Amino acid sequence: MLHLDYIIIVVQSRNIYFRGVSIKPIFIFFIIVLSFQGCSNKQPEVMIKETILQGKISDKNVSSSDEFSDEFEDEFSDDFTDETKSHYNPFDAYNLLMTSINDDMIIHVINPISKVYDATLPQQVRIGISNAIHNIKFPIRFTNNLLQGKFQNVSEELGRFLINSTFGLAGFMDPAKEYKGLLPHDEDFGQTLGFYDVEPGYHIVLPFLGPSNVRDLVGIAVDAYASPLVNVRGLENYKIPQNFVQSAGVYTGYIINENSLKLGQYESLKKDALGLYPFLRDIYEQKRVTEIEE
Amino acid sequence: MLKTICIVLLMSISSQAIVESQIQKVMDKKVHQVLNILKNKSLSQKQKEKKSTLVMDSVFDYATMSKISLGKKWKTLSATEKKQFTNAFEKKIKHSYIDKLRLYNNQKVKIMALKKPKNTRITLENEIIGKTDTYKVLYLFYKKKKTSQWYIYDVKLAGVSIIQTYRKQFTSFLKTKSFKELVNSL
Repeated sequence: MLHLDYIIIVVQSRNIYFRGVSIKPIFIFFIIVLSFQGCSNKQPEVMIKETILQGKISDKNVSSSDEFSDEFEDEFSDDFTDETKSHYNPFDAYNLLMTSINDDMIIHVINPISKVYDATLPQQVRIGISNAIHNIKFPIRFTNNLLQGKFQNVSEELGRFLINSTFGLAGFMDPAKEYKGLLPHDEDFGQTLGFYDVEPGYHIVLPFLGPSNVRDLVGIAVDAYASPLVNVRGLENYKIPQNFVQSAGVYTGYIINENSLKLGQYESLKKDALGLYPFLRDIYEQKRVTEIEE
Repeated sequence: MLKTICIVLLMSISSQAIVESQIQKVMDKKVHQVLNILKNKSLSQKQKEKKSTLVMDSVFDYATMSKISLGKKWKTLSATEKKQFTNAFEKKIKHSYIDKLRLYNNQKVKIMALKKPKNTRITLENEIIGKTDTYKVLYLFYKKKKTSQWYIYDVKLAGVSIIQTYRKQFTSFLKTKSFKELVNSL
């Protein structure tokens, strides 16, 4: 399953314009990691009779399917879409190249480091670190739930933050979920824009970290203001990292930690792809549509 | 005689699809059965896949999934090609589904509420509570008109439709390559 996170490090301020709107803190360096979870699978010890286990591809499915042939297209035409037109995207060539670079980065750099990290640090500690970082990023969820008028979520997020920051030992544990049944409501500014019907725009694959689009790129830049883990010039008192290097350090650690809890997911996902770039693009865009609808 | 009755009964139970009132109950049982198989350390990965797919076979309508995934191309195929594609796609789907579940075999699964957006559609949501995240798995059922039984025609993992994703990929693939190449690539 695809899990997306990102790092934003503001290097310098510069104005850019998106649909006529000036957006200030730009010139950012993104890292987005597609991190996936794995698990260990022990090898077999007992053989089971082939006859019991045999799962043949049955011809009955093919023959019975003819029963649907007439009604088939009408029956499901509303549920599925056909991409008959190829939408022009000026970033396609770049996206293709960047997908390949990101793939190499995940397979040859991030995964090997994550595996060593996985073997070094107990899982419970890594889960604790993941919980704590998620807890610190509370302002992003709080602000965006508020901006979308999801007041029940706002209240639950506030409750989670208060409980987990105190009884949860600075967020390392998640008693709000365990004992109160309060689940997180992940919302970001890209989703907020989508909530107000802003179109995703061109799909853009970001260096190191994977799929995004114009709308979500703007969202990432805006969320940088709310996140205590991203250094923004002029907001140092509110931020944990005080400069670029510290921001990079915090997020590199976060990425490796998250990926160590999701080893194997990326490889599993890749098996479903006929072409990696269009595949990752489609599942990213589908996932974002669902997240916005929710 | 008793033995024969038992065998007939067992066969009828294992091969039947689901009636509406039983969807939650049957799926709860099947999903947990599969997760238990995947957790069984005495089985090889291949054995786990075979056992798991046997559990799910009666509710997954692979033929309909194959048709939907090919879209309009389906109607242009001969009977042999349809069979070829369905066989290849069925294998692919089974492997993909089990491989995804394998990754979460240490997690808890909660069967959530059933929804009926229209008369011939039902969705059943599962929540897989992972180490740090909760993932949603949505099983999409349709009602087969002749028998009034319900079958799964798509699964959405974290909001991503498996069949829609394949459909897009296949459409794109077939613009530049042949049907034969598509079957081989599966």
